[in-house]
Amino acid sequence: MVKLHLEVITPEKVVFKDEIDELFAPTLTGQIGILPNHIELLTKLHHGELIIKNNNQKQSIAVFGGFLEISNNKISILADYAIHARDIDISKSEEARNRAKELMQEKLNNSDFAKAESELLRSLLELRIATKHKRHNISNK
Amino acid sequence: MANTIQLKRRIKTAQNVSKTTRAMQMIAASKMKRAQEAALATRAYVEKITMISKNLIHKLDYKSDHPYLVTNKSEKTLFMIFSPDKGLCGGLITALAKEYLTLHKDSDIFLVTVGKKIEIHAARSNNALIASFEFGTSLPTMDKVYPLVNLIDDYLLTGKVSSVKILSSNFINIFTQKPTIHTILPIKLTNNHNQKIIESFGLFEPSISEILPSLLKRFLEITVYQLLLESFVSEQSARMISMQNATDNAKDIIQDLTLEYNKARQAKITNEILDIAGGAISANT
Repeated sequence: MVKLHLEVITPEKVVFKDEIDELFAPTLTGQIGILPNHIELLTKLHHGELIIKNNNQKQSIAVFGGFLEISNNKISILADYAIHARDIDISKSEEARNRAKELMQEKLNNSDFAKAESELLRSLLELRIATKHKRHNISNK
Repeated sequence: MANTIQLKRRIKTAQNVSKTTRAMQMIAASKMKRAQEAALATRAYVEKITMISKNLIHKLDYKSDHPYLVTNKSEKTLFMIFSPDKGLCGGLITALAKEYLTLHKDSDIFLVTVGKKIEIHAARSNNALIASFEFGTSLPTMDKVYPLVNLIDDYLLTGKVSSVKILSSNFINIFTQKPTIHTILPIKLTNNHNQKIIESFGLFEPSISEILPSLLKRFLEITVYQLLLESFVSEQSARMISMQNATDNAKDIIQDLTLEYNKARQAKITNEILDIAGGAISANT
């Protein structure tokens, strides 16, 4: 069976690189599912959850903006930020969320506010995915 | 003898100096290693985004009037210089300053400096210094890039400048860093040399005119970031080498002084023996 080759790259590192069966990705125009032999595509990613299916196993990665390119069954995702759901440290994310909330309460200039806001969005996303992932794992056991 | 005490003090000083420079060398070495790893980690991203941008521009024959791609009428240049905040890194800063002074006697530039050291030089020249940032002493993060890119956008989109250049240290190897001028805007991606181009994209979502600007902006950001990283690697490696030389020099001085000290000590002992012997002879006669 034809497989898809997926690469998730951020400026810091290569987060994921493997063969997969199916991918769900959050794009600006809504969530899309990608199967092998997909038409060539270039699109922008929204922040959200990448769901990777391989041999009936599900993995999820939190992504935060970026681009997705498909050509010849190769998917490249250039994310601004990405983290494996299993690597998310809930206490750290909560801390980041609280810090960002506090920062946003203060009077900030535009750029600092935008930074705090994106920090908040990111931590909320991480928390959402991490809790979902955890529940999923427990119900599997 | 006062001389031996003085020598002892000087030896002690040289030892302290060598300890300090040794420590600085080690700090620079570890920082350099981290920075090199970071630069390597960025490479995958850069390669990919370059390829996508190239394909996009080249393949589609998309005659874009995007301000990053075309040259506007302005004859001015936004010139950015990246330098370290701190000295003690050999000839790195001098080389940067020299490059800047030889190349830009004309006043058709707006100057932006990153790093305190070059700011001093830039302030002395006649060019319009529009902004200066600190480079920082730790590994540069993406956050450092955004204000720079905002500034570029400010000047480019309003047509105040037609090109953007960056002068920064190019890391050749640990021993050599060369100040180099990179023209980062307008983006030149069309000079494809026998790189394979994949078939044109079938689909764009939402549309190419919406993807291209953000893709190019990201490309610009990552280019600037890479130059920052490279400057940082250059700074740390230059510092490591110059501190290693300083340590070696201090060791040489310690050796010379120790030799002198031992000679003085021996001379003193000989003199004392001569005195005693002289005294004994005169007492015996």
